[in-house]
Amino acid sequence: MTAHKYQRSAFVCAVAMLTAAGASACSGSTQGGASGGAPAGGAATLTIQGDAGNPALVENFNPLQPSSALHGVNLIYESMEIVSPIDGTFTPFLATGNKFTDPKTLVFTIRQGAKWSDGKPFTPSDVVFTFNLLKKFPGLDGNGVWQHLSAISTTGNDVTFTFNAPNVPFASTIAQIPIVPEHLWTSVADPVKFTNTKPIGTGPFTLGTFAPTQYALTKNTSYWQADKIVPAKVLFPAQASNQSTNQLDVSSGKFDWAYNFLPDVKTTYVARDPKHNIYWFPPGGTIGLYLNLTKAPYSDANFRKGISLSLNRTTIADKAVNGYLGQASMSGLILPNLQKWLDPTLANQGQVAQSASAATTAFAKAGYTLQGGKLIGKDGKQASMSIVMPNNFSDWVAAATEVTNELKKVGMNVSTDLPQFAQYSQQIQSGTFNAAMGGFGGTGTPYTDFNNALNSSFAAPTGKLTANNFQRFKSPAVDQSLAALASATDESAQKQATTQLEQAMYNQTPIVLLYYGGSWGLFSTKSFTGWPSATDPYTLPTNYNNSLLTVLTHLKKS
Amino acid sequence: MTYLTRKVVLFVITLWAAITLNFALPRLMPGSPVDAALAKLASSGQSVTNAQRHAIEVQLGVPNTGLLSQYGSYLKNIATLDFGTSYSFPSETVAQTIGKALPWTLVLVGTSTVLAFVIGTLLGVYAGWRRGRSADSVVTLGSTLFAAFPPFWLGLLLLYVLAFNWNLFPIKGGYVPGATPNLSLAFFGDAVSHSVLPGLTLVITTLSGWVFGMRNNMINTLGEDYVTFAEANGLRTRTVALRYAARNAILPNVTAFGLSLGAIIGGSVLVEGVFSYPGLGNLLYVAVTNHDFPLMQALFLVITLSMLVAIFVVDLLYVRLDPRIRQ
Repeated sequence: MTAHKYQRSAFVCAVAMLTAAGASACSGSTQGGASGGAPAGGAATLTIQGDAGNPALVENFNPLQPSSALHGVNLIYESMEIVSPIDGTFTPFLATGNKFTDPKTLVFTIRQGAKWSDGKPFTPSDVVFTFNLLKKFPGLDGNGVWQHLSAISTTGNDVTFTFNAPNVPFASTIAQIPIVPEHLWTSVADPVKFTNTKPIGTGPFTLGTFAPTQYALTKNTSYWQADKIVPAKVLFPAQASNQSTNQLDVSSGKFDWAYNFLPDVKTTYVARDPKHNIYWFPPGGTIGLYLNLTKAPYSDANFRKGISLSLNRTTIADKAVNGYLGQASMSGLILPNLQKWLDPTLANQGQVAQSASAATTAFAKAGYTLQGGKLIGKDGKQASMSIVMPNNFSDWVAAATEVTNELKKVGMNVSTDLPQFAQYSQQIQSGTFNAAMGGFGGTGTPYTDFNNALNSSFAAPTGKLTANNFQRFKSPAVDQSLAALASATDESAQKQATTQLEQAMYNQTPIVLLYYGGSWGLFSTKSFTGWPSATDPYTLPTNYNNSLLTVLTHLKKS
Repeated sequence: MTYLTRKVVLFVITLWAAITLNFALPRLMPGSPVDAALAKLASSGQSVTNAQRHAIEVQLGVPNTGLLSQYGSYLKNIATLDFGTSYSFPSETVAQTIGKALPWTLVLVGTSTVLAFVIGTLLGVYAGWRRGRSADSVVTLGSTLFAAFPPFWLGLLLLYVLAFNWNLFPIKGGYVPGATPNLSLAFFGDAVSHSVLPGLTLVITTLSGWVFGMRNNMINTLGEDYVTFAEANGLRTRTVALRYAARNAILPNVTAFGLSLGAIIGGSVLVEGVFSYPGLGNLLYVAVTNHDFPLMQALFLVITLSMLVAIFVVDLLYVRLDPRIRQ
């Protein structure tokens, strides 16, 4: 500490005397200074901005309950394989690989030599046990695995999954179910409510210490690829409930890996330690304007195209995500992540540019013309729209405000509606909205993205809840393409079906896709390198799901 | 009826009214905890079925008995401090969750309230005594300025300057992450350094109320004959100011102080939120944002009760301070 800094502390101590702290605040302030600085402990300890746990973390390491389990559970348990959320590439973990013997039969070959952290060997029967557990307790089957599976069996090192119907893309869901040890979980009476405070997994880490403000994982030296794991310890300090406080915490350089939106990241993060602080904000999903297709004039594809052509998506992205990410491709694919599936015949990679004349033409086809500054339909009424979104999703609100302004310029009467999240979700699920902001895609698998958004089986009648296809899109041709993609095992057939879906998205505009939502990865190379980046995009920088495990197997000592 | 019995009877009646209101309010609100839980489920992308609704009703113990028997068991639960299990912290009872947060708030907000009261009252005496002069202007203007800061904003400002830029204090929490609360000196020092900024925020923003109350009472009292008489008798200025004027002027401030002690338990939702302090205010914020009805109900009950007790105690104190009340 320099002399100059001492003066400041002395001043603060004098102030502190007046407050609750009293005399001992002065000794405390030194401690505060230390903990506010860089991560201590050298290269062996990795500090990750942890779970939102305020005022206290709830101890839960049940890997089959991802919504209530703490993030660290992803380093304790493993699944058969991990599928990249960027481009859908499979990386083997507890399995060495998988193949479809026919579009309804999927075989995983299970890895030999892996061990549970209590020393017992991991076997194919653990896999079978886990999937049967999901069947017995539907409360654990959040992915609806058993809506698609009819049977599971094992022969030697192979585990065979039989599907009800051809569903090749569903392999990624099966592959990523965390596997739990049969010898311990067989005696758990209610695995749904089980908090598993002494987790035994096959993963690279075991639970070290747990406190309501922070937990620590220590390296599992008997891990089957222990040589790939560099950190000896991983710390997960809890986040604050206040976003501004969290941003200061991240900026102060406390973490090796944080996940946080920061405005002006070059100043607020990189410049704080230009030698070590890096960031990567890849697209992790698409944000779009959902129009209720059961209502006129939104039921008319020409009208939807008119809206799409009236928007300046670059400005929208600038307003919503500080320009960190750009406008979305109307192909429905997240680019550049899914570049290899992109239909080359789509103009400008499927990006729709603002064009007043093209919009006028499209609106005219739908029967709407500009009269006295207002877009008037055949019924003589002005086209109007109310866009609903949750009031606390600030980037959606910013985007919708810009959309509102731009659509007003083409003569529409547009307003926004900002209720609580619960009310928003009620409206979009029951189909009572007329326009809404919403997320699309982001699974890394084109089939899953398109199927959730466009499959007519999700298009429930208005008033009935649906979890997908909120806009209620129905098209037999699209359903056929989806079915074709589901049963395609070779890449050319997959490409053909994906291209059809992209064209449906582009030409019929079931959702007006606007911009890419970001994945806010902030890293420090002070102790570790090998973070995912634009040049090595092996996974998204999300530090709350199984990307944790992928990243930990890539980290090197710096 | 004597003053005391009257007060006790009044206390019991208000207590009953508050407890009953706390029972009635959540039941008068539109929607139910089950709806809230279902909405949460639906928002995670699952479809909601009747079976799920029933399962949640069973989980939450939503009764299908009459209101009167619900009321009976509610009273019984309060008497035994059984508030059920919160949704946000399912591994412990509501009483345990509150018990853990209570000491933090008591110490932080309690100490800050006492300090703000003492400092504010002394400044008020000083400003009142030197009314109209520059010292008065400095004190009144200064405290008005600080009172105009919204507490959470001042909190963020202090956080940014003292904790972030100068690294003098930790950014958040009640103690260093990972520590287990205990009575050791090291932990105490750590906890103190974590409480400086939230404490400072609370003191600064609540100071002005005390300053103004005391200053204005002082000015009134200074106009009284007995003060002039004391001055005319040639008593020392200090003695007149403190023993004659201030002692009489402080009565309304004592009442207000009692009330603010009652409000301590409620904590300071915004300030505790900014600093992620592990106290009741922060807990209340979490409970409200998570629609955590059991936790909310218990917290509101605790807040109401402590307020009532504080008012009761102030009433009793008045008997000592002002003999005229006793009849």
